[in-house]
Amino acid sequence: MKNNIYSSVKELRTTLPIALKLVYLSNPVLYTGISVIVFSSFWIIFNIFDQLLFFSPILYFYVPDDAQIGFVITNISAALLGIVMSMNIYVIRTSKLRINKSSLLSGSLLGIVSSACASCSSIGFLIISTFGGAGIIATGFLTNYQIPLRLLSIVIMIWALYVVHNKITKSCLLNNSDNPKNKSNTK
Amino acid sequence: MKFERNNFHLDNENLQADKKNFPLTLIAFSFLAITVFISSFGFFDNNPTRSMNVLAQTQEPGNNNVTDNNPLALSTLIKQGSPFYGNETAPITIIDFSDFQCPMCKRHVDNTEQQINSTYIQNGDVAYVFKHLPNRGLDSMQAALAAQCTNDQEKFWEYYNILYENQGQIDSGWVSTENLKKYASQIKGIDLIEFNSCYDTKKYEEHVQSDISLANSLGFTETPSFIIVKNDGSNPQKIEGPKPFPVFQLEIEKVNSE
Repeated sequence: MKNNIYSSVKELRTTLPIALKLVYLSNPVLYTGISVIVFSSFWIIFNIFDQLLFFSPILYFYVPDDAQIGFVITNISAALLGIVMSMNIYVIRTSKLRINKSSLLSGSLLGIVSSACASCSSIGFLIISTFGGAGIIATGFLTNYQIPLRLLSIVIMIWALYVVHNKITKSCLLNNSDNPKNKSNTK
Repeated sequence: MKFERNNFHLDNENLQADKKNFPLTLIAFSFLAITVFISSFGFFDNNPTRSMNVLAQTQEPGNNNVTDNNPLALSTLIKQGSPFYGNETAPITIIDFSDFQCPMCKRHVDNTEQQINSTYIQNGDVAYVFKHLPNRGLDSMQAALAAQCTNDQEKFWEYYNILYENQGQIDSGWVSTENLKKYASQIKGIDLIEFNSCYDTKKYEEHVQSDISLANSLGFTETPSFIIVKNDGSNPQKIEGPKPFPVFQLEIEKVNSE
């Protein structure tokens, strides 16, 4: 088991750069653009929910001491989202293989929801007023465990990245009836 | 290593996996939709014409005796027993609605409030008033009741700092009766018998409830929330959330200039 993980990580060190090169060098403007747009969008959303970025009444951004860890996690989440999104779009465009939508979505959603509930924002109040005592407990839980939840969302996104990189570098379901291994796929 | 573009085919296995993942994807999409829907209330519910009886009362043109009737006038707030610091005759009052269990309130106390203090309160330009809005957890009310009890002995702000310094996770037990009494005992010169009696009898339950009612009438749904007014309670400006110091500067200037 330990050896399997070790060999997977070792393999990843060579295959991940290849996957990234394949995606970003195939159409640098498109895929870098997608990554930048996705990263910027989620960076803005996360930081608004974290009450670090303000647009009204003035445009202002600050990182107080208590928000530094959250801010680092936010940047990692947004960057991973940008990369995973670009790679998934590459897979959609270059193949008919399905993308791992559930990993991508649950990772990004966990990030959004945990950061939304972390702040004493109206989302918390709405949940409290809708569900009463149970709502208080739910928002309290999300506030208390915001950092572990965000780390979990990063783990899910790393998993999504691993899956999509596998699809790019190890795609093997060729439409080749001559290949005996693929005969079962060409019924 | 060279990779070439290939024509891939969805095999049966993948189709089955797609079917399995469909409900998960649907749940994820629903989750996202609900999140966006709920959070949109916070971003778009900025209607300035929203009914706020208290604010309307402060701005009635025919109301000549503004200070006496105005629930936001500093003199009224002091009479009600709301904790305050700063100059009693300061031209501007900042009313802070907070919960001792709220992490964003702690962020405000550690950052913005200190800047407000050094820039405006020390100069006598602003008075700072505290109102209770205990809505973050089931234990929040206990912290509010204990804090209000210390105000009887003019020790509120010391207790306020101790509570924020010791803030733990919401409803994790840090606001137990035992801890609240222990924190009170850390204040020099406090009469613990008087404090314990006040806290045990829930002397200020009604006071805290009236603070909550005031917050509701102002339309405040989150902590911390603030209202910046002139000394007589007129010209109110609302701030919701732990906004940074420049936002307070802007709103204070607005109140001052109008």
